[in-house]
Amino acid sequence: MNTSGQPDLFLDVIQANKGIIYKVANAYCFHAEDRKDLVQEIIIQLWKSFHNYTDAYKYSTWMYRIALNTAISFYRKESRRQHVSNPLHAEILHLEDTSGIDETTQNIKFLQQFIGELKELDKAVMLLYMEEKSLKEIAAITGISATNTATKIARIKKILKQKFDNIKN
Amino acid sequence: MEDIEIVNLWKQYSKKLDESLVLNTQHAADITKMKVQSFLNGMKPLKIFTVLLGFFWVGFLDVLIIHLFNTATSFFLVSATILSLLNKLAIGIYLYQLILIYQADINQPVLATQDKLARLKSSTLWIARILFLQLPLWTTFYLTTSMFTNGNNVFYIVQISVTLLFTLAAFWLFFNIRFENKDRKWFRLIFNGNEWTPVMKSMELLDQVREYRSEIKNSDT
Repeated sequence: MNTSGQPDLFLDVIQANKGIIYKVANAYCFHAEDRKDLVQEIIIQLWKSFHNYTDAYKYSTWMYRIALNTAISFYRKESRRQHVSNPLHAEILHLEDTSGIDETTQNIKFLQQFIGELKELDKAVMLLYMEEKSLKEIAAITGISATNTATKIARIKKILKQKFDNIKN
Repeated sequence: MEDIEIVNLWKQYSKKLDESLVLNTQHAADITKMKVQSFLNGMKPLKIFTVLLGFFWVGFLDVLIIHLFNTATSFFLVSATILSLLNKLAIGIYLYQLILIYQADINQPVLATQDKLARLKSSTLWIARILFLQLPLWTTFYLTTSMFTNGNNVFYIVQISVTLLFTLAAFWLFFNIRFENKDRKWFRLIFNGNEWTPVMKSMELLDQVREYRSEIKNSDT
């Protein structure tokens, strides 16, 4: 796919799938500053790989692969609070004020926290499961077989349930 | 909490994001105008400094060897030559790894990409293994033939003991610095610094990849 001169298409794809970038960044970075850097890094990597995109996969599959690969590698770089040679310091994705903390919001926060505590690969599998991706699509993104994914998900769900039970008791 | 509740909770989170997540299109557009960094420009200053320091060090050694070739002792020439070769090998591996990491294709499925990246990063241990091999050379480069012909027993005992100790330590470390020993106390002590953190984390990730791979094998059989 020749994408030279196609920044508009790229921006449309990003706009339509911005939730993927945010959710992945949020799962792999606890701190807002790190998350901001990761969002930017993911978008940079997506743009660098845009010319390699083929319609063999959906945009979302392609985006998940790159976002997860970037997030896992980025996570290993440790917290990078300094912005070395970083011309784009401003926040690219931000949440508008969603005031009001009800029980659901509180539970969402707990869920995010528990997801954040999972191991890197388990986190990726669980994110995709909660996004209701099919086992086939999860396999295309992660390279993990459907059977193995199902087993893993069952184990992770057990851990999450246990954690929710602990906070209730 | 039931399975369905977890998924529903995530759905509500997604819904909230859809309603309130805003893309700063101007900054996203700026990214599309950024020049893709070359390998050298993408390197962190510390990595560039490490490579430059390595080049300077082997260059210095080579100049010394050439200039002192006719006057220096065989002990010095052999020690310095091996030292230079080991350091050249370490720099070569370091640069090769950096290039491979830079060229890694992140369009591939997560497990394969992370396996490759983690293997590359953790193979940095090879550099440490090679560099530890130079330990005994630091106990031999200053020796001269006259030190042996005129030396007393104390000299012999101390010199041989120290060289033997350094040689044993070098080979022991060379053979034992490997992934399987990553949880040992001595291993964690050696690779404790910040610069080694990515390598240690890569090894932890390799553990996860192996766990997934072994389960894939088990489920296939």
